[in-house]
Amino acid sequence: MAFKLTGFFALLSLCVATLPGKRTLVLVDNWSIRETHSVFFRSLRDIGYDLTFKTADDATLALVKYGEFLYDNLVLFSPSVEEFGGSIDVSAITNFIDGGGNVLIAASSSIGDPMREIATECGVEFDEENSAVIDHLNYDVKDEGKHTLIVADPENLMKASMIVGDKNTSPFLFRGVGMVSDPDNPLVLSLLRASSTAYSYKPNEKIDEFPMAVGSSTLLVAALQARNNARVVFVGSLDFFSDEFFQASVQKANGGKKFDKSGNEALALSLARWAFKNKGVLRVGKVAHHLKGEKEPPQAYTVMQQVDYSIVIEELNNDKWTPFKADDVQLEFVRIDPFVRTTLTPKDGIFRTSFKLPDVYGVYQFKVDYNRVGFTRLYSATQVSVRPLEHTQYERFILSAYPYYASAFSMMAGVFLLSLVFLHYKEDIKDKKE
Amino acid sequence: MPEKLANVIVKFYDEYMQSTPKKLKIIDAYLVYVLITGIVQFAYCCLVGTFPFNSFLSGFISTVGSFILAVCLRLQSNPQNKLEFSGISPERSFADFIFAHVILHLVVINFIG
Repeated sequence: MAFKLTGFFALLSLCVATLPGKRTLVLVDNWSIRETHSVFFRSLRDIGYDLTFKTADDATLALVKYGEFLYDNLVLFSPSVEEFGGSIDVSAITNFIDGGGNVLIAASSSIGDPMREIATECGVEFDEENSAVIDHLNYDVKDEGKHTLIVADPENLMKASMIVGDKNTSPFLFRGVGMVSDPDNPLVLSLLRASSTAYSYKPNEKIDEFPMAVGSSTLLVAALQARNNARVVFVGSLDFFSDEFFQASVQKANGGKKFDKSGNEALALSLARWAFKNKGVLRVGKVAHHLKGEKEPPQAYTVMQQVDYSIVIEELNNDKWTPFKADDVQLEFVRIDPFVRTTLTPKDGIFRTSFKLPDVYGVYQFKVDYNRVGFTRLYSATQVSVRPLEHTQYERFILSAYPYYASAFSMMAGVFLLSLVFLHYKEDIKDKKE
Repeated sequence: MPEKLANVIVKFYDEYMQSTPKKLKIIDAYLVYVLITGIVQFAYCCLVGTFPFNSFLSGFISTVGSFILAVCLRLQSNPQNKLEFSGISPERSFADFIFAHVILHLVVINFIG
């Protein structure tokens, strides 16, 4: 019996280990990163991610095997790599993103070309190799004179609590390369900006040209949620995830308040959980629509009928689908243009509304297109046809129409009388003529 | 000038009374009746609005249609036009008139609501 039980648990653990969405490949520059960033990796394991460590130039690297992805998530903690090993290259990683895979990328001042190319593909541009974000006003007390160990204020976080977590945390320590986002790419989110006194340049060189990024256009953390809901997070600093920064105290050099522990750990974990679809994931459940007071949808609706619509929306919470809570989900009743747009009322994850169909017939769609920062895109369209009133459904014997009825009948009577008289007088006229 | 106009009207009236066949006069009387019904309906519609628009349309169209059919009948029964309608006998033209009316009133009743 005990043997059976252990066998069952072994099977169970095997199932858990290969849970979809949890397989994660971590590429590192050298094995020491496993030790220097152990807290971050342990936290990921604690949430249930199955981490596979490889060096970035490992000759056996592969993301795809037999046409299927081997991993769901990719952590690139290998900023200085000049060429990936095995079958991985920039196009393999962009294909991975196109296939719905999530990527967490940490860069540093020694950033190599492949990383810059991946970022460019995603609408983010890293500054040149050996450059760093420099801030002569907001640097940490432990800085070594270059003012590159900067203190990022939580005030500069984007207002997206689903991605960056709570805003009221300690400041963040950051030492690394700056980014700018492509202004034409609406999908890139500027999660953490540098302060207005920061700029990005090579700290050891004299400034003889305008820096690539200046002030708050310098991004420290950026993210992309592609249209296929694949998520890519860029952090300009590999040290940002290190145990050293997680545990470090933060104090601005020019007499700022001292915080015992930096906000790095909370933000890093929040970013990783978001990137790897541990939160902010929505899905559509059952969609139902029918006439008011009925249960089943009719073959076709008739104009101006009262229709009840309901949609189930679920949110992923700790690997379980739970009812989604929001009061800004809208339904559109669309025939090329929306004819009705109404807010749905949530109750236990079921979003309902009841509305009157427009007085225009045609083929319509019930459309819910819910697109919020931090959540996966939610889209549901259900097609129905709306037909005009049947011939017998129109109102009859309207009081104000009686003169028209009378006129129509008098015309008939008129023809009848005319026929009688006309036929009768035929001979009469002939008589007169002769 | 007004005298001349009056003369013209009087002459027109006399001519009409004398030389127009009585058969045509009957049709003319019918035409006047139809015309007045149509005008009254239109005035009523202007007063109360177009709400049962289909009813108004069918009522109005029934008068317009009757008017047109009667004018056609009048043209075909006018002895002066005999050459033009040489192939059509008076019986035939009247039957056409009745047949067209049957169709017209079917449509009107169908549409009046």
